[in-house]
Amino acid sequence: MAYRFQFRDVFAESQALLDGLWVTLQLSAVTIGLGFLVGLAAAACIVYGGRGLKAAALTYVEVIRNTPLIVQLFLIFFGLPSLGLRLDVMTASLLALTINLGAYTAEIIRAGLQNIPRSQIEAGLSIGLSRVQVFRHVEMLPALKAVYPSLASQFVLMTLATSVVSQVSAEDLFHAASIIQSRTFRDFEVYTVVAVLYLALSLVMRGGFAAVYRLAFRRR
Amino acid sequence: MIREIGAIDVFYMALAMRWTLVLTLLALAGGSVIGLAVATAGASSRGWLRFGARLYVGAVQGIPLLALLFVFFFGLSVVGFSLPPLVAATVAYSVYAGAFLGEIWRGALIAVPRTQWEAGASIGLSFAEQLRHVIIPQAVRLATPPSVGFLVQLIKNTSLAAVIGFVELTREGQLTSAATFQPFWVYTIVAALYFSLCFPLTRLSRRLERTLRVAR
Amino acid sequence: MSLVELRQVVKRYGTHTVLDQVDLSVEPGEIVAIIGRSGSGKSTMLRCINGLERVQAGEVVVDGVAVHQPGADLRSLRARVGFVFQSYNLFPHLTAEKNITLGPRIVQGVDPARATELARQALRRVGLEEKLQSYADELSGGQQQRVAIARCLAMSPKIMLFDEITSALDPELVGEVLKVLEDMARDGMTMLVVTHEMNFARRVADRVVFMHQGKVWEQGPAEQIFAEPRTDALRQFLSSVLH
Repeated sequence: MAYRFQFRDVFAESQALLDGLWVTLQLSAVTIGLGFLVGLAAAACIVYGGRGLKAAALTYVEVIRNTPLIVQLFLIFFGLPSLGLRLDVMTASLLALTINLGAYTAEIIRAGLQNIPRSQIEAGLSIGLSRVQVFRHVEMLPALKAVYPSLASQFVLMTLATSVVSQVSAEDLFHAASIIQSRTFRDFEVYTVVAVLYLALSLVMRGGFAAVYRLAFRRR
Repeated sequence: MIREIGAIDVFYMALAMRWTLVLTLLALAGGSVIGLAVATAGASSRGWLRFGARLYVGAVQGIPLLALLFVFFFGLSVVGFSLPPLVAATVAYSVYAGAFLGEIWRGALIAVPRTQWEAGASIGLSFAEQLRHVIIPQAVRLATPPSVGFLVQLIKNTSLAAVIGFVELTREGQLTSAATFQPFWVYTIVAALYFSLCFPLTRLSRRLERTLRVAR
Repeated sequence: MSLVELRQVVKRYGTHTVLDQVDLSVEPGEIVAIIGRSGSGKSTMLRCINGLERVQAGEVVVDGVAVHQPGADLRSLRARVGFVFQSYNLFPHLTAEKNITLGPRIVQGVDPARATELARQALRRVGLEEKLQSYADELSGGQQQRVAIARCLAMSPKIMLFDEITSALDPELVGEVLKVLEDMARDGMTMLVVTHEMNFARRVADRVVFMHQGKVWEQGPAEQIFAEPRTDALRQFLSSVLH
């Protein structure tokens, strides 16, 4: 007996989908903003920091990058309460996502900074700029321009990865999908629609980042 | 009934790691086949092949792995297959790995400089001979560090298979946590076990990056 | 009969005409230096001879093979026509020996032991016999270029084409490469050398061809070209390079 795909039931629940999408968008935006700052700080510690700071930052980056996000999330949401720190779902999710993105961002920015040729720095110093001024005028912008594509890519990937917070019942788009699934029993259709929504979101984001790149790094 | 966490739990979690590895290897095998097809299509001179490859890669890279998992898990059971989680996961992860590996390998193929093709041609090698003796050896060297890096991603991402009930390391952790009510220690151990798998591979990938012998 | 014959060859990139009805013939044993500004078509002309570039009109006949025709058997021809690139283009994943034996083994069907012997002899000719097992990244630019030359020699070519082979080298490494060319010239090899090394051209070449705007603008014996240029273009070119 043939199975008839019933997408209409899913479309009837579009309000739930939009609510979930909105949560995903907010979560992603805050994560990207905070994660970028955390990554920037960590990268600075690695490239310019003293031994202790550098070691701490490197440890942070390596531990986070070599363990799964879902485990980090479970550790924060389920594990911390037994140490006395009970966080609500959204805070825990944000914390886990930010810490995760921070490590990947740090790695990308670190590579960008370390790829600036020494000769550029020496040129800056030899016209009398201080080390901080050299960073600001000679290293920072070229490094950001060089790593922008990787960063943008990482941000889009993280937006998709926010779907993992559904597993601690945060009410994001993916969670909305499971709710709709339990209401309509249209498993396949729901997740297909949600996949397409995420795809659309990632395409819009990529396009947005590309547009920002062209605007910000235009030749003057 | 709550029980104390003990060495036996660590043992069972370590044992569950073998399922993580099984899924990883299966996904690697399936993903390599798909990836090879995607890479050669993406680097081919035929426009429609390149377009198809780009479509595939773009679609897979643009949706969350969880969504891919669920679509295959539910979708395959819909068309009549009642599949154990391992099989559904293998298919989903193969599709996922195929897209990422295909993109890495396509990049490696087109990164071998044009001049290497010319050098091969100018000593009389045919297209197939150039590919076999000059281009592919170099493409493989270029592709190895990022492929090993992706392997690390793959191992970490198998953790999501827990969500469809596949009992690998993360799922074992969930079960143990429920039994012992010690989520902090359980998930710390789980994280440590993943780290022990991934960190050496990450280091290997970095070392490979440094000792390449390719034309630039 | 000429070893290389170009008749009314036309080569275009899009709307830009790079070779404009070029005629050239090269006899066996001749040493021909090709000079001219960048963009004059020198390298392109050389690349047409071993089929790396296709021509839109005209005929290219090399050692009896009609290179310009679509079905031409370039594979066996290229074993007889050695081509040395400006950027050496050694295969970085192979030792010098493997770089050199690849052609003889795969294209000419020589057995591996004999091929290694050929490689050794070729390296001896360029003065690098001890580098048999070295990789490209272990060699200086001049050494890499000499290995590239050896790679061609091992296939016993009838003619050698050199495309600005010293342009990418540090000045102190140029000499060792040019010496190899002089030795080859003395041994009677037919050579077409696109070069900026005017002293070398004057000393070693039988004939010098000056290319300008895609045409063979002027050609003649080396002494005459340098001492008594007949056209303004050549005069201007020489004064700009021989200061």
